[in-house]
Order: sequence, then structure tokens, then C-alpha cells
Amino acid sequence: VGLLDALTGRHQVKGPAPDRVFAITTAYITLQSEYQIEPTGAAAIVFQALATSEFQATIKEMEEVVRATGSESGTQVATQDDSYGYRWMVMRNPPGTPSVEDLAVAVNAVSSSIETAGHGERLLCAVFAFADRRAGGGPAGTSSSSSAVYFIYNYKRGSWYPFVPAPGSGSGGQSGERSTERELQLKAQLGSELPMEPELERWFPLWGIPI
Amino acid sequence: MSTSTRKPRAAFGKDAGLQARMLLTMFLLVVVYAVLVGVLIAVGVGGVTVLVIALALLALQLFTSDKIAMGTMGVKEVSPAEEPELHGIVERLCVQADLPKPRVCVMEHPMPNAFAMGRSQKSATVCATRGILQMLSPAELEGVMAHELTHVINRDVMVMTLASFFAMLASLIVQFGFLFGGGFGGGYGRNREAEEAIFVSIAVAALVYAVSFVLLRALSRYREFAADRGSAVLTGRPSALASALLKLSGTMERIPSRDLRTVEGMSAFFIVPARAKSSLMNLFADHPPLEQRLAALEHLESQLQGTA
Repeated sequence: VGLLDALTGRHQVKGPAPDRVFAITTAYITLQSEYQIEPTGAAAIVFQALATSEFQATIKEMEEVVRATGSESGTQVATQDDSYGYRWMVMRNPPGTPSVEDLAVAVNAVSSSIETAGHGERLLCAVFAFADRRAGGGPAGTSSSSSAVYFIYNYKRGSWYPFVPAPGSGSGGQSGERSTERELQLKAQLGSELPMEPELERWFPLWGIPI
Repeated sequence: MSTSTRKPRAAFGKDAGLQARMLLTMFLLVVVYAVLVGVLIAVGVGGVTVLVIALALLALQLFTSDKIAMGTMGVKEVSPAEEPELHGIVERLCVQADLPKPRVCVMEHPMPNAFAMGRSQKSATVCATRGILQMLSPAELEGVMAHELTHVINRDVMVMTLASFFAMLASLIVQFGFLFGGGFGGGYGRNREAEEAIFVSIAVAALVYAVSFVLLRALSRYREFAADRGSAVLTGRPSALASALLKLSGTMERIPSRDLRTVEGMSAFFIVPARAKSSLMNLFADHPPLEQRLAALEHLESQLQGTA
């Protein structure tokens, strides 16, 4: 906000930063090969759905575009609204063939059609779901099979950050503990491959992620 | 597959009129204040001393008023575990507005109310009362919190504190001018000239205070409009805020917000009689009338729907 903007109270919502969604398509290889963190084959894009006929038409077109681009890979699309009134568009690979590339393409198709329609400032974030298969990832007693790890892309800042709900908490949609230690480890492990959000206070949690 | 041929359209137009009025108000304030400072310098060393003292008070106020307000009003910071919904709303809005997350507080009071405090974006605090949390739906609460966050984005505490600085100085001179008399006149040997200088500076200060008071109220109202607008732009739901305002108006005439409290916090330092202030407050409200705010939000909604 410039001086004149501050003086006059003029405030525009920031549009998306230069797109760095596709950084995940190289970073996940490292996650998979070195840290046993596997993609679950699901991703989502979160935005504010304006209650206008024009925006509804945009969403409809966009779903068609995603279905069309996903028809060969078999990517499924579903939408749902969360309790805060944000729209989640969830993309899923066909079972057994998780492909982060296909998901990133689908997420990008959604974000670019929202931007093309002139509503880029409505984009909140994109979420890619992973499963941590390291044995002993959680404290004793919890199932050691896997725990959820999310990578969240902030459209306003063009940066990524990890979000790891502590095992056994926050699954029901309400907020719980997050495993900050694990998140910081992931930052160190992937810092050179993903453009990470440098300000830790901007690592906003998203509770109740439906993927 | 049909690609969109629809032309990108800004969801909300600009409100050049509001910005022009705001700048004009600020310009008039600067003119009025310049007159005051000119007179103070003309009367000599005493006037400048008063200015320096007032500046020190201003700094003190900027750095302590939010803490004092929090302490005296029983405002408690809440953790995400205690108030998950409020934190969730604020976090999403912060992502949307590209803001660092402010401190989130709750005031255990049944009166529905919300306000923002803090001189900068980094030191900001947003607060909601228990009453408003219980009364509003999530979408309405989001509209209200977006309004408060827009105050933070626009640095309204800073702007209003700085804008009202010389008005405070003027009221200081009006009330204590005779005490400063020695200083103004330059010391012991009181003569006719010195007394005239005191009289003139008190008269000018009184005039400055009166004019700047009206201007400050106007500025505050414009910034409320700007915050309503910012909320609509941030959430994309102008009507949700309108609905919240309607609900709140049932229980109170207006949403008292931060600037009212800032004025009250100020009076602790400047010892401005609360009586004179509150009687003037009725004449020159610092929030615009509900109908005007609703009309502005309605206009934003029709811009959004493309029917404006």
C-alpha cells in the first residue's frame, strides 16, 4: 500500500503472484525418493465463489475444461463449500496411479480460467496431499502406517509451505495441533526445490482439508 | 470446448469521489493546523515548547494506547484452540489480503461489537466481543472482521491519531493556555503585549479545535466507508456485511470501533473533559448513518452482479 493509498484508504485485493504451482512437480520426486513421502493422488484449489451469475458460468466452464484435460488421465473433479464459505475444487487421480503432474495441470487450468475471467484476486490457495510413510513418523501408539502431509501454495505470495496436522488431531474439521517440528524439517529438506514462504507467521493452517 | 470470450471485468469499480473527499478533508486539516503552528511560532519560545511536549505525548500515545485499551477493557488474546472459527476466518482473510496475522482477541461482553487496534500492520490487534460472536453467522462475522482488517490495512489508527494530533494540541492550549501564560509571554514582566499574545493564541486554538473537530469527524466517516468497501472487496460479499450491519443496528445505533476508543484512550493523556466531547459526539458522529452505509454496500453488490 503506497502513501496515497494509505491516506485515502484505497485498497485493492492483490491478484495472484507469478505462478509457481508447477514447482511441486519436481519437488515431489525428491519427497518420494529421499523422504518416503508419497503423493496421495489428490489436490484441491480453494477460492471465494462470488455469488454472481457470471462467476457461476466461469466455474461451470472451468469444470468442463478440467474434465476435458483430465479425460485421458482420468482425473476426477468435485466441488464442495467449507464452513467458511470458500469453494474447494478437489481433483483426484484414478486409484493407484497418483500423478502430481496431472493434478498440477488441473489446478493450473482452474486458476488460469478464474484469472482469465478477471477474478484472479479471488484465489486463496492450492493444496497438494501427501502421505508420510516413514515408520515412527508419529508418536508410539498411533498407526505408524502413514500420516498426512500437505503442501499449500499461497496464490497471493507465490510461495509454498508445508502443513502437517499432528497425528490424531484436527481430522474432524476443527482446529487441532500442528506438527511444527515436522514442518520445519520439510522446509529444510525442500527449501532448495520449492519456493518456500520465508515468513513463518504466514504459514496459515487450513483445518478440515477434505483431501 | 468453448473457451471464455467474456471480457475480464473488474468486480468493483473505483470510488474516486470518496478518495477525493478524503484528500480534501485532509488538505483542510493541514491548512487549519498550519495556521495554528504559525501562531505558536509567532508567539515565540513558549509556543514551541508546548508543541514539543505535545509531540512527546503523541509518541507515548501511539506506543501505549492499544495496551492501555486492552488492559482497561478486559480484552483477552485467544488461541486458535479456544476460538477456532474466529481464527479460521481471520487467517483466510489474511491470506486473501496478504497481511501478517494480527493478534486475535475476544472481549467477554454481551454487547455486539468489534474493533481493530495497533499503529502498524505488524502490531495490529483485532477484537470481537462475545456478543458479536454469538449473534452473527460465519459469513456476516467474516464481513465484520474484513472491515476491521481493512482498518489495519489502511493504517487507520495511525492516520486518525496523526490527523487529530494538532486538534489535541489546540484543545490543550485552550484549556491550559493561561497556565502556559508565563511561557507564552516570555517570563516575569507581564505586559500588555504578552497578554494579547496569550489571548490571540487561545482564540486561534479554540477556532482550530472547533474546525478540526468537524473535519476529523468527517474524515472518520469517510474511513468507515472505505473500510466497508474494503470488506466487500476482500470477501466478495457486500451483502453479508450489510446483513451484519442490519443485525447489529437492532441492538445499537452504530458499531463503536477503534477510533472512538482511541479518543477515549487519548483523553487519559490529554485530560480532555469527556463531557464536552460526548455532547459534541451526538452532533458529529464518527460513523456514517446506517442507511448510507447500506446504500454504499448495495451499490457495491450491484456492481458485483453487473447490474449497476
